[in-house]
Amino acid sequence: MYWEKFLIKYILFICVFIYSGVTLSGPFSDFKAGAELSEELSSSPTAKRNTPNSDSLVQSIDALNPKNSSVWRELQDNLLGNDANVLFVDDIKLIMQDYIEEAHKVPLIVTLPKRLYNFKNFILIIENNPIQQAMSIRPYRLIESLGMNIRLEDDSPVRAAVQGDNGIWYVGSKMAFVASVGGCSTPACDPSVEVCETGTIGKIAIKQYEREAGAERIKLKVTHPMETGFVTDLQGEIIPEYFVKNIHVDDNKGAIADITTFAALSSDPVILLDLPKKGQSVRVHVKDSLGLEFFSYDSNTM
Amino acid sequence: MKIFNIILIFILYFNVYPSFSSNDFNLVPIKVSNNVFVFVGANEDINNKNGGAISNTGFIIGDDSILVIDAGPSYIYASNVIEIIKSFSDLPIKYLVVTHHHADHSFGISRYLEMDVEIIMAPAELKRYLKYGNRSLKQLRDLIGEEWFLDTKINSFQYKEKKYPVSLNLGNRNILIELYEKGHSDGDLIIKDKISSTLFVGDLVFSGRAPTIPHANINNWKNYIDLISKKNWNYLIPGHGNIIKNKDELLPTKNWITFIDKTAKEASISGISALEIFNEGLPDFIKEYKLAKETWYRDLPILINKYEFD
Ligand SMILES: [Zn+2]
Repeated sequence: MYWEKFLIKYILFICVFIYSGVTLSGPFSDFKAGAELSEELSSSPTAKRNTPNSDSLVQSIDALNPKNSSVWRELQDNLLGNDANVLFVDDIKLIMQDYIEEAHKVPLIVTLPKRLYNFKNFILIIENNPIQQAMSIRPYRLIESLGMNIRLEDDSPVRAAVQGDNGIWYVGSKMAFVASVGGCSTPACDPSVEVCETGTIGKIAIKQYEREAGAERIKLKVTHPMETGFVTDLQGEIIPEYFVKNIHVDDNKGAIADITTFAALSSDPVILLDLPKKGQSVRVHVKDSLGLEFFSYDSNTM
Repeated sequence: MKIFNIILIFILYFNVYPSFSSNDFNLVPIKVSNNVFVFVGANEDINNKNGGAISNTGFIIGDDSILVIDAGPSYIYASNVIEIIKSFSDLPIKYLVVTHHHADHSFGISRYLEMDVEIIMAPAELKRYLKYGNRSLKQLRDLIGEEWFLDTKINSFQYKEKKYPVSLNLGNRNILIELYEKGHSDGDLIIKDKISSTLFVGDLVFSGRAPTIPHANINNWKNYIDLISKKNWNYLIPGHGNIIKNKDELLPTKNWITFIDKTAKEASISGISALEIFNEGLPDFIKEYKLAKETWYRDLPILINKYEFD
């Protein structure tokens, strides 16, 4: 019992520590909006938020505090385990926009501190989504940072839970405000800002980029509708859920990462992996929820 | 010119301090030349104060009939415009030219369909309007409120195939409409009033704010700006912002699209993500533009995404 109390105190201390940091620099500190933020927020009053202003900053600090979250505790138990050892930290950075116009496709990059490059598990959690778990990754190599496109149904804390090789879950958080709700429950493409022709399901594109000192960035894109099951078509019929379930990334030296995905990733999901050591010719194998399999290579010659 | 400035101040005043009788657009037409007028939209993003009235609407009065350029964002907006035009002239509005399908230029169409008005729009843009209009309308309703879009509908309508350039006569007033394919949109229409030498160029030119690129072909667009620059005109009415009289004022549009295009291409080659570019702060170059931040954040990822996996 004593130990538990100690742990709770420790977590509280860490929280207070983080949030005092937050108050100084804002939860937006990793995204250099800084003082300009309130101006940005107030420049576009919408039906949803009439006069967004610097109160939003305070709101977001409150919202990020897991103690104020009505859902976090249960999420933690379900996704990280009942007796998970959880620490909220600020050196896992979630880089994303503070104020999001296109809630169907929200780019996010998570950078890890060096001590977590050898993480064992990574889970991306969007608290206020109907689908709260966006993805998880089990890596087979060191990974420095990861990126993905997510859907946001509403304003929400977004949390990256990263399990170190010591078994502890380290959680980095970021508050995201959306301009209009419904990233999961309205059709994926916003025709007012993009071209909405749908591509061939299962088409895989892989890009490898040199980074400094032999490091590499892998970006892959799978063409897939990633239907959430919350969208109705023009006739009012529910479009059944249909999404990519698994993305396996490897090269000729073996597995790089095994990624479990859910429909909280946006349509045509893009995954970014920064590896400190360059991979060889990277390949991808995708399975979706209808059991279809797609390969970036000729699977017969395996 | 004094009057012009006073009117401008009035417009600015009303936009900054909107009256709370909502859905009132406080439209004040600015005289460009004899019988040529423009309502200058708010130089802002669409919000619940401006009701989406952010682009320019023009009208030209001939001896027999009237031509309107762009329908504006909604039924109510179009109704207000029509009312004001009626206070200027009893002549019928015979044509509505929609420069392209973007909501702020086209969603007032439903109001004109209640009248005997011929609607002129590039076929590719009409297609987009019909295909994506309802979803876009729903998003706008969600964004700034239902009340701005009462009676606004996306309807298909009788459409006469045109061969561009199209010549029209409003009665001792010749109008030439040219089609610029795949520029700012898939089909931008440019309207020239010959007598006053006024050119309405839609969103091929933005004045005083950052241009938007989501459906653009930037290479073509740059060429089109050069073409427009070489034409003879006394007054050029951009899709957004104030009346242009000087060719130099076309440069900001061209410079922006060149810059964002170059940034996106470089990013797609090096694998840098838009977020990482944002994280560096706004480039000094674009800071001079109004709505720079909003436009930069919205458009750069779209463009990088377009180039990245091509
Ligand atoms: Zn436009």
